[in-house]
Amino acid sequence: MAGPIDPRLLKRAGATRTYLVASVVVGLVTSVLLIAQSGLIARGISHVFTERSLPGNWGVLLGGLAAVFASRALLSWLNETIAHRSAASVKSTLRRDILTARLSRPRDSATSSASMVKVVTSGLDDLDGYFSKYLPQLGLAATVPFLVGGAILLTDWQSAIIVAFTLPLIPLFMALIGWTTEAATAKSYAVADRLANHFADLIEGLPTLQAFARARAQRRGVELGEEQYRGATMRVLYVSFLSALALELLASLSVAVVAVTVGFRLVYGDIGFEAALFVLVLAPEAFLPVRQVGVHFHDSADGVAAADAAFRLIDSGSVSTGTAPVPADLRIRFEDVAYTYPGSDSPALEHFDLAIEPGEVLAIRGTSGGGKSTALAMLMGFLHPDGGRVTVDGQDLKDLDERAWRNELAWVGQEPGMLNGTVALNVLLGHPDATPADVEAALHDAGADFDGTKSVGDDGEGLSAGERRRVALARALLRIRLGGARLLVLDEPTAGLDSSTEAAAVDAVRASGVGAVIVTHRPAVMAAADRVVELGVLA
Amino acid sequence: MSRRSSRAGNATVRLVGELLATVPQGKRRFSLAVLLASMASGASVALLGLSAWLISRAAEMPPVLFLQAAAVGVRFFGISRGVFRYVERLVGHDVALRMQSSLRIRVYDKLSATTLIGRRRGDLLTRVVADVAAVQDLVVRVVIPALAASLVIVGTTLMLARFNLASSLILLVTAIIAGVMVPLLAQRASRAADLDAVPTRGKLADGVRELSRTTGDLVAYGAQDAVLADLLAVDDALRRQESRAAWVRGIATAGQVVAAGVAVVAALAIGGPAVVAGELHPRLLAVIVLTPLALHEVFAAFTSAAQTWTRSRAALERIIDVLDAEPVGSGDVTSSDNPAPGLEFDGVAVGWPGGVVVQSDLDFHVHPGERVALVGPSGIGKTTVAATAMGLIPPLAGSMRRANRVGYLAQDAHIFTTTVAENVRIGNKDATDEQVVAALVEAGLDLPPERRIGEAGTTLSGGERRRLALARVLADERELLILDEPTEHLDTATARALMHDVWRAAEGRAALVITHDPELIAACDRVVRLS
Repeated sequence: MAGPIDPRLLKRAGATRTYLVASVVVGLVTSVLLIAQSGLIARGISHVFTERSLPGNWGVLLGGLAAVFASRALLSWLNETIAHRSAASVKSTLRRDILTARLSRPRDSATSSASMVKVVTSGLDDLDGYFSKYLPQLGLAATVPFLVGGAILLTDWQSAIIVAFTLPLIPLFMALIGWTTEAATAKSYAVADRLANHFADLIEGLPTLQAFARARAQRRGVELGEEQYRGATMRVLYVSFLSALALELLASLSVAVVAVTVGFRLVYGDIGFEAALFVLVLAPEAFLPVRQVGVHFHDSADGVAAADAAFRLIDSGSVSTGTAPVPADLRIRFEDVAYTYPGSDSPALEHFDLAIEPGEVLAIRGTSGGGKSTALAMLMGFLHPDGGRVTVDGQDLKDLDERAWRNELAWVGQEPGMLNGTVALNVLLGHPDATPADVEAALHDAGADFDGTKSVGDDGEGLSAGERRRVALARALLRIRLGGARLLVLDEPTAGLDSSTEAAAVDAVRASGVGAVIVTHRPAVMAAADRVVELGVLA
Repeated sequence: MSRRSSRAGNATVRLVGELLATVPQGKRRFSLAVLLASMASGASVALLGLSAWLISRAAEMPPVLFLQAAAVGVRFFGISRGVFRYVERLVGHDVALRMQSSLRIRVYDKLSATTLIGRRRGDLLTRVVADVAAVQDLVVRVVIPALAASLVIVGTTLMLARFNLASSLILLVTAIIAGVMVPLLAQRASRAADLDAVPTRGKLADGVRELSRTTGDLVAYGAQDAVLADLLAVDDALRRQESRAAWVRGIATAGQVVAAGVAVVAALAIGGPAVVAGELHPRLLAVIVLTPLALHEVFAAFTSAAQTWTRSRAALERIIDVLDAEPVGSGDVTSSDNPAPGLEFDGVAVGWPGGVVVQSDLDFHVHPGERVALVGPSGIGKTTVAATAMGLIPPLAGSMRRANRVGYLAQDAHIFTTTVAENVRIGNKDATDEQVVAALVEAGLDLPPERRIGEAGTTLSGGERRRLALARVLADERELLILDEPTEHLDTATARALMHDVWRAAEGRAALVITHDPELIAACDRVVRLS
């Protein structure tokens, strides 16, 4: 199990460190206030009890007690506010880092957009509970028991021994219970989790069940699944509530033991009434933060898991270090290039050589999975070779300034990404300063039969795959015409399209003297190329 | 606005009541949980109160014998709090789980009886699953703790009223302020702030999703900084909105400490002079001062209960909307009483029941052995036509006849987390092992039937999923096949290989193909264009 505080949170998110210091200070002040509160209460009650009269400073005493409570209120508000600020600041830092890391890996398909959204929004929100509930209690637990225990020790050492003996038993017992039940819990948790997903699976698959007239018939399956789910969940709960039982039992039993012991010692005059009251009021306060840490333990687990998920995304990012300017001549060479995707057994590219001359229109054909898209991704600087190198006029691509290099390229990917808005907005990505007339001209040349005002929903909704392709093509044309890009990089579209417009667009590009690298299997496009290379199945 | 929210609150309460009624001995189990919860909280209050009495009595130095009963009581309360809490949590969770099951079955019944194919319901289905779980939170974290805390506060007040009426009344008032009014005001104030944050959160999620889906294009065109800056601006706005909500919650916590302080100080201020005046037994002074201190912990339950109430009520309101919605269509595919070979649309108008006509005057026939492509721009109602052809919704006008054995292959066919064979049997629940294997072979899928999908790395590629869905269609006799964008999102090679097998399987059957894939359109005998 991970520790209570992820060290990476301390290192990366400075606000965490500040907060930990603040929470310890809050804990110290809280302890002092608790001791003052107990002292004043014990003083007031014992004086009235023994003297049957109000003490001379009765008003001061009541006012002091009120002031203590007011300070505690202020402190708890302060604590909550600081906790929230820290959580918000840490969340913002992590959000920025996650998104930056994502942008550094354009080819990453391992992280689905759904899980990205989950981590960045509701996932990071789990840090709220961690910061606003768990860490404050941890701060209190690290300070209050010691100071309060010290105050009890100074007043009555026998009671302090009872507290000092039972307090460490709480974390010990919780750890012991957690440890002995870990295997059983994990097993029944897995079963419960699977059964919980059963319902989700059926609900998500309802349209499919309906298509085969099986939806109503599956009701029995839902009922059976629910029975089993409840049984499995209850078996998990029997065990997982045990640690809370141990916690409550130890905490309240030791307060009871302190009370009873002090009571009997009072009878024998072993301890004064005021001291006894002081100890009685203070003893539960020594246990409270530790109990609260236990209560909010799941907030810690959630928070640590959220931080972990965030750091996994952040750590997979990479930083480009190239600074060299792009050479005047775009003479591109792939020299004995190899690449294996992480987690894959076989290389996507191996011993790959390719020469692209300036101004040349080159078509690449080959079998599916033959590494064509991988080669294009390398050309874009999205991936870097594991072996060999890619050079531009003799200079290693990875030493070039990444952004300056991409300025030279006009890219159309396999599944072009579309921004929510209008077609024009998407085309303008090619050159933000273009005029509406430029946009319309580019759309026309890309074979689009719609104009820039057409609206585009999430994921290009409202546009067919072919229309998206044309928008992306128009985007690339704009970048070549106005942005001065010198090479068109065209990956094969995933969905079937009529290829004549594409070939026409390639001709338009060629007319402007710009080179192109095109992955395709279409005869019309290949015919438009200067040269066709075959990227065969790798031996 | 508050009228609306209270009405919705009533609907939630009514739903919870109905669910409780479906649980065997639900009321008894529920009352037991509340009773146990109040005994657990009561035990911690009684522990401090009785301890205060014990010490005060002891200070009078009576014979030890007189203290024995109180000492046993103190020990009893010390032990019982944890035990009561443990049992209460089990009983409470059991009731809540039973209620959740009952709600899940209701939601399932409702959704299974309403046609879902072809309706743009976005994430409704995924959201419904999470929303249903809110009933558990509502019972375990709101209703039971709130009822139990109320019982404890009333009980404590009654107990203390016997000793000193004035201080017990102040305790009751501060309890109502700390337990009811402060959480209520805080909930209302933070609800307003939380509601403001909802659109901002949506914007953030949409932006992140878009960034994640378009990373390649953004980076290739150097637009990453602008997009990142936009998103960070949204993040900043969200941060300010969340701060407001947190500020309110901080005030609420502080308010509860103040209320506890008022109760303690008042008890001392009233109790002290009362002892001096001889109206209160000196022994009881510690009891009336210390008891409010212990009660303070019980108040805290209300703040988190109020927050959970806001959240779970919103979720249950969405569920109530689902449960109250008029059912649309038949849910399951129905069989036709007037079957025809293939598919015949004669002057048919299609559209969702109660909605507008999406397409009218559709005239086309698909004869056995024929492939007909249904094309048209997206959003024109192609899937609505498919839903009509399957008999999921009635035609709004004209006459539609079709074969009874319809197979539907959709681009988003769901693959269930079970074995390959069970997934195939969705298409024919009586299929023998041999039939399952034959369907898999015919669909060109080389997977062992007993293999479980979705566990331990058994994930399927897009092409394999489509083939498993095809095997489902082939597991039974079909006269009419409706293929809904069968090649969407597949790469060209995979799509071709898949369609090769689909066409072979479709031999001799009527096939209606919804698509905008030119290659697929070219492979059809006829094209029906929607505009």
